[in-house]
Order: sequence, then C-alpha cells, then structure tokens
Amino acid sequence: MYICSDVNRFSMKNSQLYKGSLTTIVMKLLEENGRMYGYEITQKVKEITKGELKITEGALYPALHKLEAEGVLEVEIENVDNRLRKYYKLTEKGTSETINRLAELEEFIKNMQSIVNPKLT
Amino acid sequence: MKLSAEQIERLYQFTRQHYVEYYDLQTELVDHLANAIEEQWQQNPKLSFEEALQIEFKKFGVFGFMDVVEQRQSALNKKYNKLVLNELKTFFSVPKIIGTISAIGIIFYLIKQLQEGFWIVQGMFLALILSYFFGILILIRRNKKRNKQNGKKWLLKEIIFGYSSSAGLINLPIQFAIHLKGENYHDGFLLLFSFLLIVFGLTEYIMLILIPSKAEDFLKETYPEYQISVGSL
Repeated sequence: MYICSDVNRFSMKNSQLYKGSLTTIVMKLLEENGRMYGYEITQKVKEITKGELKITEGALYPALHKLEAEGVLEVEIENVDNRLRKYYKLTEKGTSETINRLAELEEFIKNMQSIVNPKLT
Repeated sequence: MKLSAEQIERLYQFTRQHYVEYYDLQTELVDHLANAIEEQWQQNPKLSFEEALQIEFKKFGVFGFMDVVEQRQSALNKKYNKLVLNELKTFFSVPKIIGTISAIGIIFYLIKQLQEGFWIVQGMFLALILSYFFGILILIRRNKKRNKQNGKKWLLKEIIFGYSSSAGLINLPIQFAIHLKGENYHDGFLLLFSFLLIVFGLTEYIMLILIPSKAEDFLKETYPEYQISVGSL
C-alpha cells in the first residue's frame, strides 16, 4: 500500500519536472532535424530516451500550436500516403530562441546538480 | 502496410465525431492517428483498423481531443489579437500617425465646442458600439454562406469572421456611454476621450474591414494546406 502510493507520487512529480522542458525539447529536436511532424517527434523522443520519456499527444500538439502562434515555428504541408502531413520547423526567431533556452536549461541542470550532488572540496 | 484513402476518410469522420470541427486540426490529428495505426500494424499485423484506432484514441486521455482543440483555440486567439495590435500600431507610426493625430485633434475640437451637448460624445460611443455589432453580424452571415459552399471550417477564419472574443473591447465604450455626463470636463479629459474614440474607431475598422479583407493572405500564411484544399475544390 505504502510503496504503491509512493510510486504514484514519484511518477507524478517526475512528469511535472519534464513538463516545463517540453517546448525546449521540441525546439532542440527541430534544430537538429530541420523539420518534423508531430508523430515523428513523439517517436524520436521515445527512441532517444529508450522509452524512458514519452511525450503524450495531448501535450505535444498544444505545445506546437503555441510555439507556432508565437512565431517560433512555421509550418509546411505535404501530401504523403493519401493524406496531408504538417511539418514544423524553426523560424529565424525560433533558432535564436532555441540557443537561449538551451543555455538556460543547461544552467538549470548545472545548478540542480550542485544542489542534489554537492562536490566535496 | 499503409492506410487506404477510405480509411483516411474514416479518420476524418472520427475526428468530427469527437468534436473537432476545424479542418486544420482534423488534418493534423488524422495524420497522427494514421502514423500511429501503421506503426501498430508493423508490430501486430492482425490488428483491425478500428481496434488500432481505439487504442490510439485512448492515448489522448479521457477528454479525447478536447484539450488539443481548446488550446489551439487560445493559441489562434492570441495570434488574432496580435494581428489586430500590429495593424493598430501602424496607425501610430509614420506616415499614418499624421492622420491619426489630426483625427484626434478634430474630435477634440468638436467635443470642446459641444461641451454642453455632451450627449453627442455619448452618441459617438454608442454609434461605435452599434456599428460594431452590425458589422460582426454581417461578417458572420457572410462566412456562414461561404462555409456552406465548401463545407470546411478553419479556426482562424472563424475567429476573423466574427467568432472573435472581443466582448471585453466593447465593454469599455459601453461604460463610457453610460457614465458620461454633461459636465465641464477638463481639457485633459476631453483629449483622452478623443483619443479613445479614435482608438475604438480604428480597432473596429481593423477588425471589421481591414483584417477580413486580408483574410486570404493570413489564412494562406497560417495554413499552407488552405490553398491546396481550396484549389482542389
């Protein structure tokens, strides 16, 4: 009983930690891969993290749409296999924004590391 | 194995059944579901199309596509507000600002001359409000007619043609119209009223005439598929 509730709490916290970084993850992937479509992004994240991190559909598309409305991403449409596919890619503004966000994220990771795992000097 | 054209059509129908009204969102979700179903077939070729679809739909959670639709709406509303603001800004930069300032000056002069008949100022605010409502009604009607012709709904288009959440904007002039009284107002106040009248007037012009007239450009820019779909009809 105890263990079970503990596990639940942990996974909830866990997802919240990742939540704030979702847009940065998406932008980083687009920076590396040029243009991607929604499903491809979910699969790519799964592949890189070996299934540890799964971006849910319900979170990914709102994040993409927000970034698009902010002018960070732009879209292209292509006809693939009987259907229209919507590709996202970084705009010029998005590319410089990505650099900022990644630097911010790295700084965050560094600070967390020194708090969680202080070096004894 | 790839999905057939009929199955893609079934996916469109499925999104409509789950309250996704807008073609732009339908298209994206259809592609997503199609990819996911094809992926499932690779692992389990015996799975039926409907079974695979249900499995994928469950991944969207208890609210289905609702979240995606809602957030898309708020993102595009923001985009629309930005469009209005950008247009408004052009009236406050060279060269249009000359016209804007002169208009404010004229209104200021008129109000000052008509101090005693303050109902005229009230009337101006009221006229702005009424013309706004009429304008929106006309836009909505026109859009409905057009939607009937080609059957596809685009979220940004719905926002541009009357669906806009601009109730807040109209509240302010209503308050002005109600609370203005025929007193001797300070020149500063009169200038403020003139400024607000012009800003409201301009915003109305932008929302009712300018942006709808440029709608095709905005839609093509937001939806690359807009041209494809309209062209194919």
